[in-house]
Amino acid sequence: MHIKELEYHTPVSLAEACALLSSGGPGAKIFAGGTDILPDLKRNRINAGSLISLAALDGLKKIEKRGAALWIGPLVSPDTLDRSALVREIFPGLSEAAASMAANQVRGMATTGGNLCSAVPSADLPPSLLTAEAELVLTSSAGERRLALKDFFLGPRKTALRQDEILTGILIPEFPRGTGTAYDKFQARDASALAIAGAAARLTVKDNKIVKALVAIGACAPTPLLLAAAGEFLTGKEPTEQNFARAGELAAQGVKPISDIRGSEQYRRDICRVLTIRVLRRALTCSKR
Amino acid sequence: MLKKITLNVNGDDHTLAVRPNETLQDLLRIGLGLTGTKKGCESGVCGACTVLIDGEPRNSCIVLAVSADGKKITTIEGLAKEGKLHPLQASFIHNGAVQCGYCTPGMLMSAKALIDKNPNPSEEEIKRAFGGNLCRCTGYVKIIEAIKGWKDFSGDKLNDVAGEKTESVGRSLHRKDAPDKVTGRARYTGDMSLPGMLHGKILTSPVAHAKVKSIDTSAAEKLPGVKAVITWKDVSEILYGVSPARYDEHVLAKDRVRYVGDEIAAVAAVDEATAAKAVALIKVEFESLPEVFTIDDAMKAGAPVLHEKYPTNVNVDVNYTFGDMEKGFAEADLVLEQRYKGNRTYQSPMEPHATLARWEANGRLTIWTSTQVPHYVQHMLARVLEIPMGRIRVIRPAVGGGFGVKAETTPLDFCSVYLAKKTGRPVMMKYDRKEMLHHGRGRHMQYIDLKIGVKKDGTITAVDQTAYLDGGAYTSFGIVATYYSGAMVPTLYKLPNYKFKGHRVYTNLPACGAFRGHGCPHPRFAFESMLSIIAEKLGLDDIEIRLKNAMTPNSLTANELEVISCEFKATLEQAREASGWREKKGKLPRGKGIGVGCGGFVSGAGYPIYRSDFPHSNAMIRVLEDGTASTLFIAASDIGQGSDTVLCQVAAEELGVPYDSILMSDCDSDIAPLDLGTYSSRVTLMAGNAVKMAAANVKSKLFAFTGAKLGVDPESLTAKGGRVFVKNEPAVGMPWDEAARLAFSQGGPLVGTGCYQPPKLGGKHKGAAVGTSPAYSFGTTIVEVEVDLETGKTKVTDCTDYHDSGKVLNPSAFHGQVHGAVVMSIGETLTENVQFTKEGDVANATLNDYLIPTSMETPRIHSGFVESYEPRGPFGAKEVGEGAALPVIGALANAIYDATGVRITELPITAEKVLNGLKALKK
Repeated sequence: MHIKELEYHTPVSLAEACALLSSGGPGAKIFAGGTDILPDLKRNRINAGSLISLAALDGLKKIEKRGAALWIGPLVSPDTLDRSALVREIFPGLSEAAASMAANQVRGMATTGGNLCSAVPSADLPPSLLTAEAELVLTSSAGERRLALKDFFLGPRKTALRQDEILTGILIPEFPRGTGTAYDKFQARDASALAIAGAAARLTVKDNKIVKALVAIGACAPTPLLLAAAGEFLTGKEPTEQNFARAGELAAQGVKPISDIRGSEQYRRDICRVLTIRVLRRALTCSKR
Repeated sequence: MLKKITLNVNGDDHTLAVRPNETLQDLLRIGLGLTGTKKGCESGVCGACTVLIDGEPRNSCIVLAVSADGKKITTIEGLAKEGKLHPLQASFIHNGAVQCGYCTPGMLMSAKALIDKNPNPSEEEIKRAFGGNLCRCTGYVKIIEAIKGWKDFSGDKLNDVAGEKTESVGRSLHRKDAPDKVTGRARYTGDMSLPGMLHGKILTSPVAHAKVKSIDTSAAEKLPGVKAVITWKDVSEILYGVSPARYDEHVLAKDRVRYVGDEIAAVAAVDEATAAKAVALIKVEFESLPEVFTIDDAMKAGAPVLHEKYPTNVNVDVNYTFGDMEKGFAEADLVLEQRYKGNRTYQSPMEPHATLARWEANGRLTIWTSTQVPHYVQHMLARVLEIPMGRIRVIRPAVGGGFGVKAETTPLDFCSVYLAKKTGRPVMMKYDRKEMLHHGRGRHMQYIDLKIGVKKDGTITAVDQTAYLDGGAYTSFGIVATYYSGAMVPTLYKLPNYKFKGHRVYTNLPACGAFRGHGCPHPRFAFESMLSIIAEKLGLDDIEIRLKNAMTPNSLTANELEVISCEFKATLEQAREASGWREKKGKLPRGKGIGVGCGGFVSGAGYPIYRSDFPHSNAMIRVLEDGTASTLFIAASDIGQGSDTVLCQVAAEELGVPYDSILMSDCDSDIAPLDLGTYSSRVTLMAGNAVKMAAANVKSKLFAFTGAKLGVDPESLTAKGGRVFVKNEPAVGMPWDEAARLAFSQGGPLVGTGCYQPPKLGGKHKGAAVGTSPAYSFGTTIVEVEVDLETGKTKVTDCTDYHDSGKVLNPSAFHGQVHGAVVMSIGETLTENVQFTKEGDVANATLNDYLIPTSMETPRIHSGFVESYEPRGPFGAKEVGEGAALPVIGALANAIYDATGVRITELPITAEKVLNGLKALKK
């Protein structure tokens, strides 16, 4: 397995990175952790004439509060997300998703931005970030634009990121008091395996009423899916087992899974239902912190 | 364009020019010669290449060398300091955490990163930290123990562990190869490099069945850096394979390809990347032929035929009956019938196959190959190349696991030899993971139609089994697999009447071969499942019904196999006690379950693969002139199981010298005499006997001189604890080394030889040779599971295993085999299955799609042994390596049933199948 010849750039500013990207043409690829792109290059699944490494851009490696929002730099690794006290406190569901990924070595190398931009349907971070109504900052030489994460994924390995754009930040709006989050995945092997399904939930509960509910599922459609029907059903209702079960049904109906080597369409729906109920229960517990 | 980088590796600064597409792994291995960093998957899954970058564990195969600029790298070679092992390394050696050693460097680097942050990790923390370090040998148990206990070790302490005792057998002595393996010094074939070495690559078929109309190699030949391209025109047309009766493979396809992966052409170039590029430039014109991918389709009338010699696609047919079936079933109070289906599984050793070939200036061929069977490689090369074996030298470097997949001569062996001949330069060839799965030789998927008749009290009256085996496109080990599928069934229980039919069927898929337990695990799964169903129907306990029918010592099985030592019943009883079976069976809450399964295996095949009268194992021992060391020359193939260590223990015990004074020679056909190699669990018994005889031969020569000097009858002498003395008068004697010096001074080189030939075994029926063995192992496994009733997922929590392996020569190595077999079998039962696209290509050819167990899947394992004394084994020893795998699948199926009420008859027992079963129960 070999990587074809290519150029490698290490820009020292975002502007330089943007310039390299726009001048590099379709063969120019942003290089962050490398854990997806290098195996893909070795298997000739993608072509790259040049890699533009973001390694020198320290500004993209931070996790911080920006006003009321939580800011996650795209170069933050899943391992850092998992260990970050800030993330654990504000958004435990995201920590759980990060902790569930791949294996130790890869969790330390991979990046949050890469997990989004690779747009692999079974990726672990997108469901949680979808439930958080995260917004992405996309930067190019022409300037900056913001895009809701729910509008980012277009298909397997396809995103709304333009060829000249770099994902430079992930903004998570403040969760109201009484909000709980959770992530769970189902995999045939408990490490280093792709999710057969992943589910994230976010519940905001006030006076035993669900004021806001969001459920998102990974690995069960061409893109990670925010399941509006499940969320809408729960909104305004009490957080009961019965309602969670119904939300689970709605999630199972709302996904569009395929049958593949990891499981059949029907089995993925079954798992979606179970995972949705489980993450709702845990999000509820989390909301009472 | 080259980039200049500066990095510090193991304390040394390097300024290097690197290509931007070069991985850190290649920079370390090729650029700096640090081959301790292993290449297992090249895609960031297996963890064998783990190094520390600024103290953090990273997979160096998915790190670009340019991105390591300015970093501090620590590799396995940097772990020992000032000649002293790191405590982790010592702990790995002492705890028996090293087997094939291929995952070891990566494991140690991950362990170093872990303990640097958390010096007292819990078992759970360790398991979690190692989810990205795959191991196929150890079941992770001893690795976890070694990490837990790392603080107890220092380099100095390690040297004291051998202790004062004089015995060598029966003790957990350290492996001979462990120090090299924990320091990254062990050289596997793929780590080697020779001056002028080229790199080869094979072009394989992208289609499952086609005529080859033309092969155009011109573009490949013109590519700069390409030194040779070969097709069928350049190689022998002699067919090869495993069994002489079914040689059906071409070195390179002449006019037909039969599966996705069939070999068509090969290239040698200056580097691997150029060779890969050149292969892609070869143009092959195919004419499609109809394909068959399943047993059912291949057996239909009018099905496409793969080999004209076998117009029904059935290439092995077995049919025998022992006893009176009609009478047997008539005597039964209960008769059950069921079809069971197995799965296609793949050995997945951590080291991919590799071969390095060089033609010497004197016209001889030297080949270094990652093989279990150096002799068969030498034999097959001689046959196909039509040159005498004397012109072929086969060297087996360290081998990173095999489990059967390295038990035959491979296309890499042939192609490297031809390319080396054509170019006049050494040629290295390797498989990557995908190529390994394409080449295949994994476990035959079998259908088992099983019928058992029993009396009310559980006594078996008759067994009728028909097996259909999916063979893939060529025969490989298929004859043996088909016979074994039936021949081993009657070794465990007494079957008064037994009928077996076996049919192996060609399909357009990679050929199946030999895999741990060879042909037996699926029949065993069927039998153990059905026996437990019968017990339930008759109101008997699972263990009682097994005890009732269990094989006993000094028996002849239904198919005329001789069982001498047999403590099968004791393994059942001890496993029952140790697992708390009586308190648990039928009493666990829903979702939890316990199940039992049994199995055993041959201790070496009674007959060789090709007919010859040669002794199966041969050994020489040469005593160093000053008597302080002895070298054992034997070509038995340690592929990780630890047989070199056990053989050295046998030599030391018989010679009466300390274990540490025994040296192991290289496994080199120019140096060590013929041994048939590592398959059929034969090494401990057969090579052990040869070594014992060689040592006895040394002693008899030694005693002649000692006796003369002491003025005593040589017959009255014995040797023990480094002394030669009169048996009845221990004070009369001399130190062993002094005796050896005397012998050398008076008689020249002190050399002993030994050879082992199994006794003539087996009945007179056709195929009676298969299943024969000097001795059989027996074992019982009890597993406990937790099944998630909402998802169907099974977690194995506990495993109790008792095995009768005869006298256990090295308990640590014994338990290591059991742990590895248990965890591998958990994978085979629950998650492993080679799957194919509708075009017949492997659909899950990576290590994150073909799911072998990780450390997270390892249950608590209690491994124990019941020692019998096998008169045909060295010091009473028998096998353990394959037998320990056989009980597990059935035990798990039974435990899952106990937990859920769902009886799955088709492997693997995936979560989906269990959940569907639970749904069906509700209806």
